[in-house]
Amino acid sequence: MIANLPNYIFFFLAFIAIFFAIMVITAKNPIHSCLYLVLTMFAIAANYVLLNAQFLAIVQMIVYAGAIMVLFLFTVMLLNLNADSEPVKSNLMKFAGVIVGGTLLLLFTAALRKSIGDAEPVMNSIPMQIPNHSNVGLIQNLGWVLFKDYVFPFEAISILILSAMIGAVVLGKKEKVQLSTND
Amino acid sequence: MNEFITLMKPELLLMAMIFILLISKLGVGFNQSNLMKLIQGMLLINFIAGFFMNGEGQLFDNMYHTSSLIVLEKNILNLGMVLISFLFTDWFKKCDHLAEVFVLMLTALLGMFYMISSGNLLMFYLGLEMATIPVAAAATFNLEKKVSSEAAMKMILSSAFSSGIMLFGISLIYGAMGTLDFSEIPALLNGDSLQVMAFIFLFTAFAFKMSVVPFHLWTADVYEGSPIGITAFLSVISKGAIAFVFVSTLYKVFQPFHEIWYNMIMVLSVMTMLVGNLFALRQQNIKRFLAFSSIAQVGFILIGVSSNSIQGATSVIYFVLVYIFSNLAAFGVAGLVSFFTGKENIDDYKNFYKTNPLLSWIFALALFSLSGIPPTAGFFGKLFLLTSGASNGNYAFLIIAALNMMISLFYYLKVVRAMFMDKNENPILPIQINFATKIALFVCGGGIVLAGFFGFVFDYIQALVK
Amino acid sequence: MQEIFIDKYIYLSMALFIIGMVGVMIRRNAIVVFMCIELMLNAVNLLMVAFSAKLNDAAGQMFVFFIMTVAAAEVAVGLAIIVMIYRNTRSIDINVANKLKW
Repeated sequence: MIANLPNYIFFFLAFIAIFFAIMVITAKNPIHSCLYLVLTMFAIAANYVLLNAQFLAIVQMIVYAGAIMVLFLFTVMLLNLNADSEPVKSNLMKFAGVIVGGTLLLLFTAALRKSIGDAEPVMNSIPMQIPNHSNVGLIQNLGWVLFKDYVFPFEAISILILSAMIGAVVLGKKEKVQLSTND
Repeated sequence: MNEFITLMKPELLLMAMIFILLISKLGVGFNQSNLMKLIQGMLLINFIAGFFMNGEGQLFDNMYHTSSLIVLEKNILNLGMVLISFLFTDWFKKCDHLAEVFVLMLTALLGMFYMISSGNLLMFYLGLEMATIPVAAAATFNLEKKVSSEAAMKMILSSAFSSGIMLFGISLIYGAMGTLDFSEIPALLNGDSLQVMAFIFLFTAFAFKMSVVPFHLWTADVYEGSPIGITAFLSVISKGAIAFVFVSTLYKVFQPFHEIWYNMIMVLSVMTMLVGNLFALRQQNIKRFLAFSSIAQVGFILIGVSSNSIQGATSVIYFVLVYIFSNLAAFGVAGLVSFFTGKENIDDYKNFYKTNPLLSWIFALALFSLSGIPPTAGFFGKLFLLTSGASNGNYAFLIIAALNMMISLFYYLKVVRAMFMDKNENPILPIQINFATKIALFVCGGGIVLAGFFGFVFDYIQALVK
Repeated sequence: MQEIFIDKYIYLSMALFIIGMVGVMIRRNAIVVFMCIELMLNAVNLLMVAFSAKLNDAAGQMFVFFIMTVAAAEVAVGLAIIVMIYRNTRSIDINVANKLKW
């Protein structure tokens, strides 16, 4: 029972994640979608802890659930979107979307099962021994890797963030020009 | 340290330009036309500097690698950037956020450079994102137009969606092989069903970015809505960079999956050519027309990719070079007309020759080259693509390609006929062409006429590919 | 002592990914579409972390770190664009004001 505990926790978290993910795409109100997505992200963060990736779990909560989703919430509230602002897509489209998703799921499951069943399995079902002393996901270790092996992408991404900031600032600033000419 | 500077010179130069532009925005009171001259001068210097002091090698644990071929590809993209800055001088000068537009475009170019010389899936992903996010922001810079922001939204949603798909493929590759390094992947590919699945995800993302047919829905709207300079950047430079990376990824990394991707490319190429051409036939807006024609051109590029030979890679690079000249000339003329008169319909071009002989000759030349009429460079580009495709012996495929060239001839010539022969009550008034724009138009025209006759260009690229 | 199999994580993240993908296809509200894309990225992150734990290799976790950073940049630009389009058209329906699809 105790030895199986991680499995039970996993199934519980997986249920929560999938349930709220489905709620995200079915909720009529964008604010509800946003909050459900935050819950899904918490479930995923808990999974990270289960996988011994503590640093990423914290980052997931701070950056994703804390910053990005709050940005979404701000935007939704700023634009004052409510439930019936979204026109309903035709049922045919919805049906087609679900069919495509289901087909993909089926295809993927088949590929995965075949891969596991192959004589020389790549993705074999060796129990994923999470080493008790594994320190891969700890801040100290990740810091070493990040600033030694991955320093180039780390520097490279700074330019992307700079230009994204410039883009967002210009787009935000432009409002005044629009309002003064239009209204 | 010295090695670092030689190897990363193109990137370092771009970064220097980005920072100079940012500083120019902080208090240094440049007016628009001086700033434009500064930008053009810097881009020109950057392009010329690309030919000197190049090295080969790799840095940062094989995350960044470069070779003469990669330097050549970067130079081609730099050339495109210079031509864009010269061709659309008038639009850029009028733009309120000139420095920012160029910062965004240069960041995108930097991302493409990272992507081209990436030796690692992580760098590849970062480069790809860097090459799309800033352009999406820049696509909204047409202040007065609603379609402009709509185009940007379509672009960012579709690019985020496709990069999500690509990331899923990358994570499966990581799981199945335990490495992110391009140089280690080929040895580990064993045709396992999960690996094939991962590859298909990655391939789909590429198809999205290149706007290959089932995934092309965003292209026409984005091209129509964006400001013309950004449209030219997207259709020429982004597409060229993705084509380069596509070839090198398929040929070097996924070589063991050759049979899988050959079949996929064949089907997609036929679909792309057919849909691009058939929809281009019924377009009235010149930008949409050019958008669909560039989709059709991607179909031809795929023929070259499918050949899986040195000649195939060479012909793709050569075609991109030619395509930069022809498409930029076409977009340049369309941009001038839409900037000065606001007219974007093909019908407005009737009797264009009477009032603007120079522009109509350049436009006609560009359209001839795009359709592949013999003396122009476009003909040689397509010829090389088709002959390298023929090396596989799949002649039905080539017959379809040839039929598509006929269809495209029809609609390109329709525009030429409208310009030279049709009568029009109120033709477009004579356009005053800026000196810089004129130079760029002549360079494009010269490239179209001459690139085909200089066989050594092709031989030079072929020598580098080997 | 822990007995979680890697394939369970693959199935979970695949399910989340496909839910996100279906969401992108069936919703028309641009913000919700963006959220669905975030869901897809989260599924990818989960898969990366699971593989990284299985291989006992930090590269996967590093990748997740970079995906998060890029996603933040993407969201900043994307939401700015969505606010712009709302000011312009009073709607964030991805099909509205679209004259010609083809």
